[in-house]
Amino acid sequence: MIGKKLGQRDVVVLDSIPMLIICIALVFGLYLSCITGIASNNAMRYMIQIFLFITLGEMWNLLSGFAGMTSLGQQLYIGLAGYSVAVMTTKFHMGLGAGLAVGVLVSTIVALLLSLILFKMQGMYFSISTWVVAEAFATLFLSWKFVEQGSGMTIRVVPYPRIGEICILSLMICVVAMITVYCLLRTKVGLGLTAMRDDITAASAVGVNVFSHKLIVYLIAAVFTTLAGGIFFINKGIIYPENGFGISWTVSMIFIVTIGGTGTVGGPIVGAVIYVFLQEILARYPGWSNIILGIITILVILFLPTGIMGTLQKKLRFEIFSSKRFSFAKHK
Amino acid sequence: MGNILEFQDISAGYGRIQILNDLSFTVKEGQVFGVIGPNGSGKTTMFNALLGLIKPSSGRILFDSIDITRTPSNVRCKMGLGRTFQVPKPFENMSLYENVLVAAVHGASNNERFGRELALGILKQTGLYEKRELTAGKLTLLDRKRLEIARALGTAPKLLLLDEVAAGLTDAEVKDIMKLVADLKAAGHSIIWIEHIIETMIGSTDALMCMAEGKCIMVGDPQEVISSEEVQRLYLGVDDNE
Repeated sequence: MIGKKLGQRDVVVLDSIPMLIICIALVFGLYLSCITGIASNNAMRYMIQIFLFITLGEMWNLLSGFAGMTSLGQQLYIGLAGYSVAVMTTKFHMGLGAGLAVGVLVSTIVALLLSLILFKMQGMYFSISTWVVAEAFATLFLSWKFVEQGSGMTIRVVPYPRIGEICILSLMICVVAMITVYCLLRTKVGLGLTAMRDDITAASAVGVNVFSHKLIVYLIAAVFTTLAGGIFFINKGIIYPENGFGISWTVSMIFIVTIGGTGTVGGPIVGAVIYVFLQEILARYPGWSNIILGIITILVILFLPTGIMGTLQKKLRFEIFSSKRFSFAKHK
Repeated sequence: MGNILEFQDISAGYGRIQILNDLSFTVKEGQVFGVIGPNGSGKTTMFNALLGLIKPSSGRILFDSIDITRTPSNVRCKMGLGRTFQVPKPFENMSLYENVLVAAVHGASNNERFGRELALGILKQTGLYEKRELTAGKLTLLDRKRLEIARALGTAPKLLLLDEVAAGLTDAEVKDIMKLVADLKAAGHSIIWIEHIIETMIGSTDALMCMAEGKCIMVGDPQEVISSEEVQRLYLGVDDNE
């Protein structure tokens, strides 16, 4: 019996070569359906949303689920991304790629500077501070002549990318984000993050450098949130301070991660798919959508506190995209 | 053998409330140094000062002849101070092996391959080897306490701080922990052990310190300390105990 040879074990990790092949096939299939036009424009509209929200969810999950930094200010990086793309294309007549690159650069610098201040705070104080900073940026952009103040900016490039191209771009970002998260969790830093997820005080007591781990996660989250936000506004074509720096971005990230499963890599995928379809259905009942989302979140927290993916993994004792380490030798 | 730890006239507390008053004592290398004292006598505060969680207002702490009074707590862990928590704090969703691996990789600055060997060795040493793939959240209290010790050992400490690892256990389980501590001492670890159970302290320690009101009342041979009049009065008397 395997159990006897390997000692008792609680969890089966599904990550394996066949699983990798399925993932690659899935991504390739999605890519083909975008490039050949098999997927209708409407389908691609959904897909863009799902890919981008998976990326945003994964990043917020890294921050809050693993590193214990419940940021309410991730919209800051989305706004910076949107405005970077808009400014670079309209004011400097550059391409979208340059716009995204500038966005990433700006976000990285802002994230580094903010980390000096924000990391001195913990728990609720950290959360509130991140939100206040994002609001401050919103106010700044609302009164800044260079970015057209409150009337917003449009993104002008010729030729404007087709929806298929935007869809492929968001798929790519999503895949790279997933790979980054998975690889990060398999490193020494990932081991420390998994420990921080479970108990940050104990992690610190056994020598995990909490500050450097937080910084790494905060920077990675800033970069990918920027990329996803940039693509979102390329798809939308227009940005205002209110929708760029709005708290509703973070609200959707929280929803996605909570529903899907905090501290699991698979969770945000499930959460993002549910969120995008729910949003579409709820759009028919304006005014009720936030109430219904809120009720769903409360129900999930009450009855499935570890989210859909977390509960499934616990009940069925499996893990996917796992950061798990086993004591026995790996098969080569 | 040299001194692994020296407290020199340490005063410390929380805000304006001073708990430790000019506390001085020394722990020799390879010793099991027991600490007893009534509730509120400053035992855990002494650990917190030693770990850098609170800053002393005066005095010096020498660890392995190096002044660590102002050293940040994560650096102290890397220098070789391993601690257990009074209320066990396992990484609940990780296996026992992973719990110890975190300490072996981060606390002892190893890569994962070396950390693995170290972790497996410690799991054997602490009697958790058979259960190494179980999720830590499902453990019994005895195994949680063992895991606390295992994880502290993972950081390759020069000095191990045990904070009431036997509290709440049955008599048989206490014997298990005593045997584990004896094994660790035989393996050359220096240990400071806070505990309320007097028999445990007499049986397991090389030197015993009794604390009261943030001071060292008496330190020396465990049997002598326990039978001294002042310690008897502190523990059995009605004045100081709740």
